[in-house]
Amino acid sequence: MAKPLPKAKVLVHWLVAASVFFLFVSSWWMLSLPLPSENFTYRQLPFQLHKNVGITVLVMVVAMIAMRIIAKRQQPQSPLTRLERLADLDHLLTYFLLIACCVSGYLSSSYSGWETTLWWLIDLPNWSAENDDLNILFSDIHLWTCWALLAIVALHIGAALYHGFRNDEVIDKMFRL
Amino acid sequence: MSEIQGNGLSTKWIGIVAVLFGILLLANHGNEFLKQLVVAPGSVAELGVPADCRADELEEEGLSLLECELMVSNIQITLASSPDWFRSALLALSFGGILFALLSIAVGMSFVNRTSPIGKLAGVCFAGLVAIDLLIFIAATNTGPLLRAQYLWSTLLWFFVHLSLLSAVFSVSKQPNLDSD
Repeated sequence: MAKPLPKAKVLVHWLVAASVFFLFVSSWWMLSLPLPSENFTYRQLPFQLHKNVGITVLVMVVAMIAMRIIAKRQQPQSPLTRLERLADLDHLLTYFLLIACCVSGYLSSSYSGWETTLWWLIDLPNWSAENDDLNILFSDIHLWTCWALLAIVALHIGAALYHGFRNDEVIDKMFRL
Repeated sequence: MSEIQGNGLSTKWIGIVAVLFGILLLANHGNEFLKQLVVAPGSVAELGVPADCRADELEEEGLSLLECELMVSNIQITLASSPDWFRSALLALSFGGILFALLSIAVGMSFVNRTSPIGKLAGVCFAGLVAIDLLIFIAATNTGPLLRAQYLWSTLLWFFVHLSLLSAVFSVSKQPNLDSD
């Protein structure tokens, strides 16, 4: 049996996975809600929740990166196969896109003039006064990094299924809590 | 610790599929729960207040004026097509769906590692999910045509995914030692 991964690492991986899919599904729906105004407040709860989950994902991704760095330091150095190098690249790209997606979303919201209260408890600072140009710029970055993230997540799932079909122990480790 | 016997690869695949679809289902039911919370009867769209479509917002969102107005109509469609009981029924069913989706992820993980006797729990989990799909299907069948069209096909797909998983669990549980030490 393969050496088990730390429980925290497995738990955070699945929490991030569930959160990312929830963010995709809910964002596609919430953008079909009426534009916000004094009368129309349908977007208030979904957008606030979207930001809360997104910021929490950012914190979890930082924790995942820290755990990965610590684990790499503790492993004996050995030459990587081509597939292992590809897997490393996939992980790095996934972390980069998760961070880029979350940070650009927060910055876009920050420049839109809307306030962010993390889980309805902590008021997060806005970076500056409302700025439409920067709001649109970060909104576009948010959109494209999230599409790229969806593509890389699909690749990640494909690679996991590949390991499942090979019946090797890579996939078992990620399913052991 | 007990081992699930039978075809190891097939139990592993039940687990992988259960976790993957469990994550997607969690997102699906989570969004449905949110949707029912937000689109409430008696809200401003139902009162006939015209859409508020500012030019700068339209440009920012890349929307036409017509699209902006139809976003309000979209809410009106949902509310007009929903019987009185629909919102509370979907809130309860999607909340149940969230719980069963979490359970299916846990059950799936145990199946991949074949470390505990979970045949009965897995059966209850997927039977529960099939029941929820059926109840949503029945609820959606009794709404107006505009809302029905949004729900029926996706619910049918989930129903068959969960029916496949239930059949798979039932099949492997018939093999010796799934539920015994």
